[in-house]
Amino acid sequence: MDPVGVGLRAVHYEDFLARKRDVGWLEVHSENYFGAGGYDLHVLHRLRADYPISTHGVGLALGSAAPEAGGHVAKLKRLVESIDPVRVSEHLCWGRGFSRHFNDLLPLPYTEEALALMTARVSQLQDSLGRRILVENVSSYLEYRASDIPEGEFIAELARRSGCGVLLDVNNLYVNQLNNGSDARAAMDAIAPGMVAEIHLAGHLVAPHCVVDTHGERVAEPVWALYRAALERFGTVPSLIEWDTDIPPLEVLLQEARRARALQAEACCV
Amino acid sequence: MSELAALQRGFGAAIASLEKAAEAAPMFRGPPQAALERLAVYRGNVVGACTKALAGAYPIVAKIVGQSFFEGMAREYLRRFPSTSGDLNEYGAQLAEFVARFPHTQDLPYLPDVARMEWLVHRAYYAADDAPPGARLAPACALLASPWPLARIWEVHQDDYEGEFSVNLEAGPGRILIYRPRFRVLVGPLSAGSYRFLERIGAGAPVATALEAALVAEPGFDLGAALAAWIEARVIVDAGEAT
Repeated sequence: MDPVGVGLRAVHYEDFLARKRDVGWLEVHSENYFGAGGYDLHVLHRLRADYPISTHGVGLALGSAAPEAGGHVAKLKRLVESIDPVRVSEHLCWGRGFSRHFNDLLPLPYTEEALALMTARVSQLQDSLGRRILVENVSSYLEYRASDIPEGEFIAELARRSGCGVLLDVNNLYVNQLNNGSDARAAMDAIAPGMVAEIHLAGHLVAPHCVVDTHGERVAEPVWALYRAALERFGTVPSLIEWDTDIPPLEVLLQEARRARALQAEACCV
Repeated sequence: MSELAALQRGFGAAIASLEKAAEAAPMFRGPPQAALERLAVYRGNVVGACTKALAGAYPIVAKIVGQSFFEGMAREYLRRFPSTSGDLNEYGAQLAEFVARFPHTQDLPYLPDVARMEWLVHRAYYAADDAPPGARLAPACALLASPWPLARIWEVHQDDYEGEFSVNLEAGPGRILIYRPRFRVLVGPLSAGSYRFLERIGAGAPVATALEAALVAEPGFDLGAALAAWIEARVIVDAGEAT
């Protein structure tokens, strides 16, 4: 069991190469290792000997109405085959179309049409990779009028139809609650306990017009409270501390990881 | 068009251009003014991610023009050449072409070639470690000829460079080799003969033909000395018949 991991970022390569750190696993953004060779892949292969690795994609934009572009899946497949990660994940979002890629995790309308498309895309990806993937709920600053399925039910139904697992980002649920008035706990209640295979924890930024999912702060107190609730519902699921902007020294991430581990220990013994 | 495609088209247009935001705002719940403000957050995210990727691939161009100018230029570049890949390490391939025509960089005539060099360096960083069977040049190698002293420009902009910061732009044409002995990409000057030899070898010519071409370009070209250095630096991976 590797209960708590941290996101591996290039600024911390040397820390991890210097000596074994007290973390259960490491997660990388898949696209950062799409090169045919070079230093990043070299480091990943070295660290793979010491830690379980999970790969987290940010570029497939699975819910895009535009037809799929093949090259990205092929590169992901090459990476997954060479690293053999413990988990492979992507996002519940769109981000491609009209001859361009937005390189952002744009929210989908929660409609039957979007659900059918996501189910087909996730199934195709699982077939291509020959393994189950996890799909993460994203943060959202806008809510479509067209949405007629609550977010939790949408992702749960996607998991039921495609057989994928859920990567539950509790910070994203909280950000959406603040931005759109959705109910984070109701979203968790819609997801069956066995579906959640990983949890993400990160910090956000309260900006003037909305709460932005920056991954640039410590995990906020209300998010820790939601995490506690998630552990009660979903059990001791592998959990990740993510930090992507203004990345602090590794020790700060390890402190956050220790806090998550303490909450897991509490939850499992009550 | 399906409802999903229509919503994505509206959302995408509002991210790509401020002028389309008012049209898209009613697709979202809440007052239109709030939707406009939040569409602006998405627009900012996209610009920010692409600018960061471009600055990562072109650190010397960014140093030459200055950070705030670079950010403005990156916005213009994004408008002209939007990203087409979910892998941002592939973003920015046309910057040389862009700066060659950008009205505000016309006083820097060497900038397009600096950008060309940096894109080759960027590609070399992610290139395969080992050459496929039959190849003679390492995958992380590239050649570039320019009227400008690119090797010197590269050298003085390295973070660990401690010498005098001066570049003689009148130094005459520069031919460079981009190579990666292990994981750090390096740039070095090449003589006329060396350039011609590696160019011919890279194109698959027999060593004798490549040598002949090199000697035409540079009568004193010393293949033995050059080869030893290139094998050591992992430029030539299979000397084959030459040794």
